[in-house]
Amino acid sequence: MKGRYEKENLYWIPLLIGFIFLLPFLLKYATFSYKYYLFVLNIAGIYIILAVGLDLLSGYTGLISLGHAAFLAIGAYTSAILVDQAGLPFMMSLIISPLIAGLFGLVIGFPALRITGMYLGLTTMGFGFIVKRLIISLREWTHGAGGLEVSSPVLFGYTIKSDWDNYYLIFTFAILAVVVGRRIGKSKIGRAFMAIRDSEQAAEASGIHLAKYKMLAFFISGLFAGFAGVLFAHTSHFISTDHFDMMLSIYFIIMVLVGGVSSIYGAVLGTLFIVLLDNLFVPQLEDWIHGYLNTNTGDIQSLIFGLIMFLFIIFQPFGLYGMWLKIRIYWRIFPFNPRKRFT
Amino acid sequence: MKIKTGLLVILGLLFIGCGKQAPVPGVTDTEILIGNIQDLSGPMKELGAVLPAGSRLYFRYINEKGGVHGRQIKMLVEDHQYNPQKAVVAAKKLIEKDQVFCLFQVIGTSTCEAIRPLLAESGTPLIAPATQSGTMSDLSRPAGDLIFHTDTGYDKQTNILVDYILKQDANAKIGLIYQDDDYGQNVLKGAAEAEDRTGVSIQKEAFQRGATDFTGQVGNLIKGGANHVIIAGVVKEPIIVMKTAEKMGYSPQFYGTSPTMDHRVALAAGPAGEGFIAANFAHLWNSDAPAAVQYRELCEKYEVPEAYMGMYHFYGFITAKVLVEGLERAGKNPTRKRLVKGLETLNKWDSGAFPPITYSSKDHAGTESVILVQVKDGVQTVITDWVD
Repeated sequence: MKGRYEKENLYWIPLLIGFIFLLPFLLKYATFSYKYYLFVLNIAGIYIILAVGLDLLSGYTGLISLGHAAFLAIGAYTSAILVDQAGLPFMMSLIISPLIAGLFGLVIGFPALRITGMYLGLTTMGFGFIVKRLIISLREWTHGAGGLEVSSPVLFGYTIKSDWDNYYLIFTFAILAVVVGRRIGKSKIGRAFMAIRDSEQAAEASGIHLAKYKMLAFFISGLFAGFAGVLFAHTSHFISTDHFDMMLSIYFIIMVLVGGVSSIYGAVLGTLFIVLLDNLFVPQLEDWIHGYLNTNTGDIQSLIFGLIMFLFIIFQPFGLYGMWLKIRIYWRIFPFNPRKRFT
Repeated sequence: MKIKTGLLVILGLLFIGCGKQAPVPGVTDTEILIGNIQDLSGPMKELGAVLPAGSRLYFRYINEKGGVHGRQIKMLVEDHQYNPQKAVVAAKKLIEKDQVFCLFQVIGTSTCEAIRPLLAESGTPLIAPATQSGTMSDLSRPAGDLIFHTDTGYDKQTNILVDYILKQDANAKIGLIYQDDDYGQNVLKGAAEAEDRTGVSIQKEAFQRGATDFTGQVGNLIKGGANHVIIAGVVKEPIIVMKTAEKMGYSPQFYGTSPTMDHRVALAAGPAGEGFIAANFAHLWNSDAPAAVQYRELCEKYEVPEAYMGMYHFYGFITAKVLVEGLERAGKNPTRKRLVKGLETLNKWDSGAFPPITYSSKDHAGTESVILVQVKDGVQTVITDWVD
């Protein structure tokens, strides 16, 4: 069992973590509008935590979820209510809120025992709508559709307020999420998940308790999303039901798919790719196009975004991580590459 | 030698850099940069292009006259797809990256609510948010002192409508159909106030955003016996409600909040919509109000396509007038604080379209009255002066 971990090349991970912690300084040095870039990175960081959880569910276990924004919403609203209305410390909420989101995951895990594929997608999508209605109808705590103001997180007596502080808070947990996600993926649980994805019958025949593991997958995934939700609520300071619409859930699935499923790293890459593409590159590209064509902002933003997705999925079906693996193998066996394999 | 020259060049560049650095974001000697966030590709994209176009029309007129204190007004528009998260990203970009002087006309209630913390943190004013939610002028909320609302709130509108109904018919039984979201909640707040104040009880029926079937709500109103019904929808809802009522043989007097004040309601509802009374927070674009006359002149002068002309384009135009007045009053060396101070000096200021606007450090609501517009023979006709 030990060999499994040793085989993996890990020397670049401390380097990467160092880079992540130095990045704000680099940005500050490079541009005066670093706060904006930090803000976009913070969004990416929060979504990375969720995407890791979604990868464990959809990538490893093969259970599709089109309602993950709902888990994010549950985490966010629970924490907002616990901290601001019940007066719980942020640290406690950081533990309790994800657990509650995880319990909701268990609930939605029940139907998943019987249905799969597109039908599960529809069920989870319905779950998203139910949660949205639930939030609106629990007016007393959630202020209905009007939205809820949320306080800043307080950790060890220190109030985390600026984008700078948020960055370190979010990315500490994002790194943690990736490490935990990766470990789960390589553990007994992760192997059980993959066995279920590849063949339910075979998995059951090998002694894997289908019901237990499927519900566990939903629980873990809800836990990650709930965790992301807590950070989301306390760093954006305002949440409303409009934040968590169905499009967001679909974005999450796209993030995992584009990154490459069942590798965790893929989810990270995919999230970074989509968030940066959506918030930085597409607007930039669009501004550039404005110079040549007489268009309004927004006219072609979705078009460019859709086109990139489209080309990507056609030419790189294994996602960004798959692309990286291909390049690595290419150089390892260079110059003895068989033709046509690496196109 | 080369090193010396290089050092001199670097020093020179540094000095130029220092000299050019604008002390106030978005303001140079020749230009004022403002930011606008619209829904350009989401559920309200029909308005997204039209509103800023109306504002641009007025800015163009001002710029050709020489600008505000010699500075040209330039407006950047971002897209938020009616998503609060995207609105925050867009606002962050405008404030931190593009360094705009102030934000203007951001559309939507939840989107405006979402950018409040950002406004408070950076001290950026938001002028004329394009929503009629009364929460916008709540000074106790974050950035309340930086937001200047131009439209009469939904809560206030509902109050006015109830008063108007009771004046017409003291024994009126009032029904209310509202959208079950932030918009509807603000309407409900007004309805509750009106109930407390007047002692009438209002029958309330909710519908989901995007609903197309109102048989249940209309049926309940028939059962409740309401003979005056307020519809707090947008454009589609009043049309369907009135048509459904006609089919069910139910003919109360219908009223609507400001979003229903669209000429398409009269057109599409046909005979069912005859007599429909809607509240509006500004004069009609085709009326004789001074701003409307100027608007039509400028539309002709700058050859605005006919498809653009209408209520929302006009709304963009008149909110731009408020902003320009604020910039004028901010003085020759505007800062964000001076803009806030300048706007707070507006006292019963007549924009030529809105009711007289008054701001002070204790009141950022601006206006508190509406005109009522009735559909007569399929044409929208103003039936009252400003009522409050």
